Amino acid sequence: MPTKELPERSEITIIGGGIVGVTIAHELAKRGEEVTVIEKRFIGSGSTFRCGTGIRQQFNDEANVQVMKRSVELWKRYSEEYDFPFEQTGYLFLLYDDEEVETFKRNIAIQNRFGVPTRLITPEEAKEIVPLLDISEVIAASWNPTDGKASPFKSTAKFAIKAEEFGAKLVEYTEVKDFIIENGEIKGLKTSRGVIKTGIVVNATNAWAKLINAMAGISVRIPIEPYKHQAVITQPIKKGTIRPMVISFKYGHAYLTQTSHGGVVGGVGYELGPTYDLNPTYEFLREVSYYFTKIIPALRELLILRTWAGYYAKTPDSNPAIGKIEELSDYYIAAGFSGHGFMMAPAVAEMVADLITKGRTDLPVEWYDPYRFERGELRGQALQMG
Amino acid sequence: MRPLDLTEKDPSKRVTIYFEGQPLEAYEGEKVTVALLANGIYWLTTSTGGRRRGAFTFGPVPMVVNGVKNVNARKTAVKDGMRLERQGYDDFQENVEIDEGKPVLQYVVDVAVIGAGPAGLGVVKEIGGRLTTAIIEERGWLGGDLKLKGVEQEGFGDPKEALNELSDLPENTRVFLKSVAIGVFDKGEYFLVPIVRGDQLIEILAKRVVLATGAVDNIMLFENNDYPGIFRRSDALEVMNVWGVAPGRKVAVVGAFPEEITAELDRWGIEYVVVPNPKRVEGNEKVERLIDANGNVYDVDAVIMSDGRRPDINPVTQAGGRLYFKRGYYRPVIDSNHRIREGIYVAGSAVSIKPHYANYLEGRLVGAYILREFGFEAEPCVYEERLKNYEPIAVPVHRLPLDEFNGEDVHICGCDVTLRKVDDVVKSGITDLQIIKRLTHLAMGFCQGRFCLFNGAVVVSQRTGTPMDKLDIPVARPPIKNVKMKVPARRD
Ligand SMILES: Cc1cc2nc3c(=O)[nH]c(=O)nc-3n(C[C@H](O)[C@H](O)[C@H](O)COP(=O)(O)OP(=O)(O)OC[C@H]3O[C@@H](n4cnc5c(N)ncnc54)[C@H](O)[C@@H]3O)c2cc1C
Repeated sequence: MPTKELPERSEITIIGGGIVGVTIAHELAKRGEEVTVIEKRFIGSGSTFRCGTGIRQQFNDEANVQVMKRSVELWKRYSEEYDFPFEQTGYLFLLYDDEEVETFKRNIAIQNRFGVPTRLITPEEAKEIVPLLDISEVIAASWNPTDGKASPFKSTAKFAIKAEEFGAKLVEYTEVKDFIIENGEIKGLKTSRGVIKTGIVVNATNAWAKLINAMAGISVRIPIEPYKHQAVITQPIKKGTIRPMVISFKYGHAYLTQTSHGGVVGGVGYELGPTYDLNPTYEFLREVSYYFTKIIPALRELLILRTWAGYYAKTPDSNPAIGKIEELSDYYIAAGFSGHGFMMAPAVAEMVADLITKGRTDLPVEWYDPYRFERGELRGQALQMG
Repeated sequence: MRPLDLTEKDPSKRVTIYFEGQPLEAYEGEKVTVALLANGIYWLTTSTGGRRRGAFTFGPVPMVVNGVKNVNARKTAVKDGMRLERQGYDDFQENVEIDEGKPVLQYVVDVAVIGAGPAGLGVVKEIGGRLTTAIIEERGWLGGDLKLKGVEQEGFGDPKEALNELSDLPENTRVFLKSVAIGVFDKGEYFLVPIVRGDQLIEILAKRVVLATGAVDNIMLFENNDYPGIFRRSDALEVMNVWGVAPGRKVAVVGAFPEEITAELDRWGIEYVVVPNPKRVEGNEKVERLIDANGNVYDVDAVIMSDGRRPDINPVTQAGGRLYFKRGYYRPVIDSNHRIREGIYVAGSAVSIKPHYANYLEGRLVGAYILREFGFEAEPCVYEERLKNYEPIAVPVHRLPLDEFNGEDVHICGCDVTLRKVDDVVKSGITDLQIIKRLTHLAMGFCQGRFCLFNGAVVVSQRTGTPMDKLDIPVARPPIKNVKMKVPARRD
């Protein structure tokens, strides 16, 4: 049930109230801009509340490493200022053969160049970090203690509350249905609860971005498709049992960690789609149980509380589309985050707010150029979990 | 006899178990939780938040059994020499045995019926062997709640005789007892209903599914409502009528439907007092007294919540059904054939609250619809007609005196979700049940909301002014009942 009125007008309107839309609103409102978020259900109901909580700087290209380094700074700052759980408990990639080790050595070199302190460690060191690991087949691990995790619920809710304190309006249970455009200029949006007049629109709908682009009538091709990814959570166990995010490409592209509440959460690389269907599947339950118990045998005796599905909104290179769309004034997009939109959100918010308020940003936003698909300039595949 | 035994037990089954090192009398085949109760032991486990918990209120009952942690005492039977110890919810077994597990079994049937209460049995009876059926039941018996009853039941008369008649099933019925269905999955051509029996994973492939999954007893909100010694009505009935053990020697009955338990207490000669407005329970390790809103103090050793039942909506929402709010509860939206969607039917108190016999008739009705769908002759209209005599029972939602309570002691959910926690979130400006759920972990623990979601909704509705029928109610996700990871982990 919507609890807030739809404003008659707003300078800037963000479509989509996931972590990306909410942090952009927060950043803009903090800078004194008049901004409204329109969300068709409730804050976080898209992919954000369904994510695996992970936040890492261990990427395989310069742009993502830089952006994530900035994002981690912001996660740290805001979690302290706003008091929500963000812990730098690290990401631990388990490596099982020489080829994997070589690849990670190259990634580590890039990360180190930008000051991310990742290093290669021995299986025994990995076991010291997570004593429950089965390291019998592990030959090395890539370890960065400054990566981490945050509660998607508490962080998104806090950013939303703070955005409202700065004057942003967050309107839930309201769906954007169409654009009102005159001579290439946005005049307003038609919603399920009436019209809002606005001049600047940000498409932060991630898995639904192509539908909003179609409403906007833009012709540039921005291929973002919704893929179903699932996650599992177990009963809560003693806190601190599995501190880092543990990754194993060998075992099903699995990622798993423990939430601040105590449950073991994570997923595997089991993808379905493109589809908007979000029913969890039996096959996932089987896969994730098989792989997780290979990585940490003690999980065998834990109760599974539930599984769920969300979207990886994917582009052909697994990098998002972030930037201004020139053929319409003024229209921005920040969508297509694959499996890493939660972690990036604070830095994305900074980039988008910079673009809107200053027309430029210091972060390497060109990497995410929405026109790259049309130009045939795909980036290297971003390192993706799950 | 042990302190709380109501009946003489078979001496040839007598064994000794040890609880925290202390030897106790028990009987082979008894549930651990019942054997301990018979000996007067109520406090069995401790929540993550450090609250003492028994076995008959809400929350899981993990115990250390023969040195192995995190064993569900509710589902463990007594064995001679068994050693039992308390633990915390978050204690787990670090060293585990790794075996390949048992091969997954698979059965193909026309109709899978989940729940073997009067409704589920009614479905199978009506089908009468003309289609192959599987009936899946979590408890160890056929008959569901009817089995718990000792007194005459409308329409059925003597419950024992009725059960004998109902349990006489056609030969081509596969019965799965002590088996939990963890969900219904649409595979296009058929439905997959995975079930777990012990550590065994079984896949039932069925053309049609019936959810006859019943209702759950309401948990009442008052201070220390999670104490050992507080019983849900159904658990109190089970310990008396199935196991011959008293919930206590002097009990308080609370809730809007005391008559659903008092006749049974009379039958066993258990002393009780009916307290309409409980405010607080006190005691050291367990219930020792109940204090009502007027300050009256009742010295009792157990409290039975008999506050009515509401449909278990989790199987319905997991299977893709929608809900509406009527007569004081959320219930499935059904079509004219009692389906929540193509291929999935619902019957019994999963639909609405009514007497056992009406649930049975509704089971027959659904059986008749299914027969007709498969081209057999059937007369659903006969049952439709007879069901008209049963207006579903309303379970009024009372305004709770929330401000009278110390919110820290009122447990909405067995996973340490207190009234205070919910209130704090509401006070921070968040009024959406969906978000409150995620910030407090309401309905995100062991029961996935089966016991706590309704009360959470009541509190949110009352605190925010949002009517119950306007709340965005979270849906259940598989597995709808907890399963150990090793069970689905097996690879063939
Ligand atoms: C299983 C799983 C695990 C993941 N794990 C991680 C992880 O560990 N770390 C990480 O960083 N990322 C992870 N992700 C990815 C992450 O969830 C997403 O990238 C991120 O949440 C995207 O945020 P968003 O705000 O862009 O999108 P969303 O949260 O999807 O928000 C978009 C919003 O737009 C709304 N909307 C759509 N159409 C309209 C309309 N017409 N009108 C109004 N509103 C509309 C939707 O309702 C939705 O709420 C995971 C994803 C999944 C599915």
